[in-house]
Amino acid sequence: MTITKQAPTSAASRTLAGPGSFIHNVLGNNIAPIAIALIAVSVVLSFMTPVFFTAGNLSNIVTQSAVVGIAAIGATFVIITSGIDLSVGSNIALSGLAGAIVGQSVNGIMGVLIVLAVAVAIGAFNGVSVSWLRLAPFIVTLAVMGMTRGLTLQFSQGQSVYGLPTALNWLGSADLFGMKVSAILTVILFVIAHLVLSRTTFGHRVFAVGGNAEAARLAGINVKAVVFSTYVIAGLCAGIAAIILLGRLDSATPNAAIGTELNVIAAVVIGGTSLFGGKGSMVGTFIGVLLIGVINNGLTLLNVSAFFVQFVQGALIFLAVLLDALNNRRVRNLRA
Amino acid sequence: MRSARKPLLSVAGISKTYGPNEVLSGISFSLEPGSITGLVGENGAGKSTLIKILAGATAPTAGAVALNDVALPTTTGAVIEAGVSVIYQELTDIPDMSLLENVLLGNLASTWGVSRKRLNRERASQSLHKVGLGDLDLGTPIRELSISQRQLAEIARCLVRDAKVLILDEPTSSLPEADVNNLLTVIEGLRSEGLCILYVTHHLSELFRIADRLIILRDGRMVGDAPISEWNERLLVRTMLAKDLENAYPWVPRDLGDELLAISGLQAKGVEGGTLSIRRREIVGLVGLAGAGRTELMKAIAGVNPVKSGTITIDKRSLRPGKLGAARRQGVIYAPEDRKTEGLVLNSSISSNIAFGNYGPISKFGVLNPKAMTQRAVDFAGKYDIRFRSPQQAVGELSGGNQQKVILARINETHPKVVLFDDPTRGVDVGAKWGIYEHIFNLAANGAGILITSSDTDEVLAVSDRVFVLLGGKVVAEFKRDEFDRERILHLASVANASNED
Repeated sequence: MTITKQAPTSAASRTLAGPGSFIHNVLGNNIAPIAIALIAVSVVLSFMTPVFFTAGNLSNIVTQSAVVGIAAIGATFVIITSGIDLSVGSNIALSGLAGAIVGQSVNGIMGVLIVLAVAVAIGAFNGVSVSWLRLAPFIVTLAVMGMTRGLTLQFSQGQSVYGLPTALNWLGSADLFGMKVSAILTVILFVIAHLVLSRTTFGHRVFAVGGNAEAARLAGINVKAVVFSTYVIAGLCAGIAAIILLGRLDSATPNAAIGTELNVIAAVVIGGTSLFGGKGSMVGTFIGVLLIGVINNGLTLLNVSAFFVQFVQGALIFLAVLLDALNNRRVRNLRA
Repeated sequence: MRSARKPLLSVAGISKTYGPNEVLSGISFSLEPGSITGLVGENGAGKSTLIKILAGATAPTAGAVALNDVALPTTTGAVIEAGVSVIYQELTDIPDMSLLENVLLGNLASTWGVSRKRLNRERASQSLHKVGLGDLDLGTPIRELSISQRQLAEIARCLVRDAKVLILDEPTSSLPEADVNNLLTVIEGLRSEGLCILYVTHHLSELFRIADRLIILRDGRMVGDAPISEWNERLLVRTMLAKDLENAYPWVPRDLGDELLAISGLQAKGVEGGTLSIRRREIVGLVGLAGAGRTELMKAIAGVNPVKSGTITIDKRSLRPGKLGAARRQGVIYAPEDRKTEGLVLNSSISSNIAFGNYGPISKFGVLNPKAMTQRAVDFAGKYDIRFRSPQQAVGELSGGNQQKVILARINETHPKVVLFDDPTRGVDVGAKWGIYEHIFNLAANGAGILITSSDTDEVLAVSDRVFVLLGGKVVAEFKRDEFDRERILHLASVANASNED
């Protein structure tokens, strides 16, 4: 960059396609390619199977994406701070189980509260470990993933808990205005999360911490508190996802949500949030969640084997990580 | 001059454009073996781009580079193979490997994949001798060496690869004075061995000491190319900046107030008893060699690093030492030495970087006002002369001087009582230094107390009302501006048994 060629700033010097413009921001966040991919896949699918582009099926996609989607909201906060949360799947299982047991023996409302409390506690444990104990997020959440899954199996003795009170089932099974409550809730939560991330000082701090933690600290941002909060948010989101899963299955199973963390991370990364931290958006994550949902749905409608579906998901993650790395390198080359 | 020799490296009509920006335009020169050519220019003049082209890291838009009349390869690996090596500002060694392994990095001689120990040791020590490191044990982990030794080891690495052209990009920016001399001697030795050296630096005195010839870039064009005998410092600055620079440090006497900050017996990592004071409207300098604890003392005062013992008083109220939050609430702010790793979030926009940690003016109940954020950046651009295309531009794209001004703006707007500036003009060119100091002087004039340090002692002396000399983490002497004695201060900063003085 040559300073001499940079015109002194004026409102007029901002152009439509220049840096800082709408187009640049969208491309810079990697949203445009993924949005195009989502549209392209949807168009192809609607030609290949008439069922795809029906209101029922589209709403079905959002409903089926609810668990991954809500968990991905929390994961987006965590990943922007350059952290990671692998424990989300087993968090869903343990908090769900705890809520189901309490729900059956006390009442549904109490069950809901217990699900959220357990999920937030697990998130807080992750958060304390990462921020105050300064442990590596990958290892901590991997350990917590093992611990929580182990506790789930121990408490349940490998047995599912069937037949839950209505209050606990409502979120995951009820309908409202002809749509599933879980689908509506997912969209609402995404809107709220988007506003928090892009319009609040908290969201701004999250980006600062992910972009350069030391600079953020010296600028007076409480880095540990910010990092801690993102893991708590991730825990809270896992709890909401757990309630939806309970309602959908009308049961808590010890093997619930196994491998969900991979889908969640995939959705976030495909949505343009950088694993290197400091970059990302809720809009991107939402599109990422939809893309994975649409592809799963399409492959099912086309009767593709479940084994191959897993391959496609893996390939998607690979592609997303590749794009992330390439984009990072391009940015760094510009700066060097 | 050795102009009779056949040129080794020739650059013919090189231009480079990034999008609409022409960064280099029609650069032509040739370098002979056994010569040192200085390359100078302001930040953003195109030096880095030129180095990148010579290193094969980027291709020119037009023009060609030839080594011994053969076109230079287009990949970095092949360029090194061909004999052109670049020593970058930051070390590129592998800290956990030994000196031997680092010098022979990627270049171990082997038979059938088995390393040929004796041959390798010979090759390494031969090169290390040429850079004056012949006495070191080849097995020493390189992390145990000093920064300047590691830098010399990097030069040795290039020699092992049979470099004919050596490009040094600001090699002295992080070296203490004694090591700079040593490095310059080594470079002169390499010239007599027939190497062709391109030396890039902001330190003009170094050029006058070793260069045979100077090439000056401005706005991507070559605006000067002549033997060293035809240059003097004044002419050089005028050519670089296209204007005279009468006084790089606009110091004016200020009416100093009462004592604002007092530190006594501070003990922390790298600090062995820091005792000093700062008055209102006063600029206090810290002089010390690299490793004397300048950064450590500042970080301890500001609570960035934990403090073992000692007291800090601000405005006659005691401050709990070693607590960043407490220090900031009392208006004690540290401006870090390393902009890129400690000062800024490079990927974030300029408006965001200004906002970090100071959301008051641009938010309500935790909700940001994007319009106010942008407006603030635009206002600051005028107030602090920060040059950028758009407030949404990533701060990492700005030049070093402009980045520093973003940090300055952010600090100024918190209305601090005491600011600790750790090498605020590091890697900033002469022209931008003036602008940065202008704001620091304003800050002081408005009532703040300033503690400042720089790797350039002359700069500290030029801007300070009073200096403290640091040695081995201890404050060993204090001088008022009218008592400044450069030789004496430097002596105290480098001698262990200096007696205390007033």
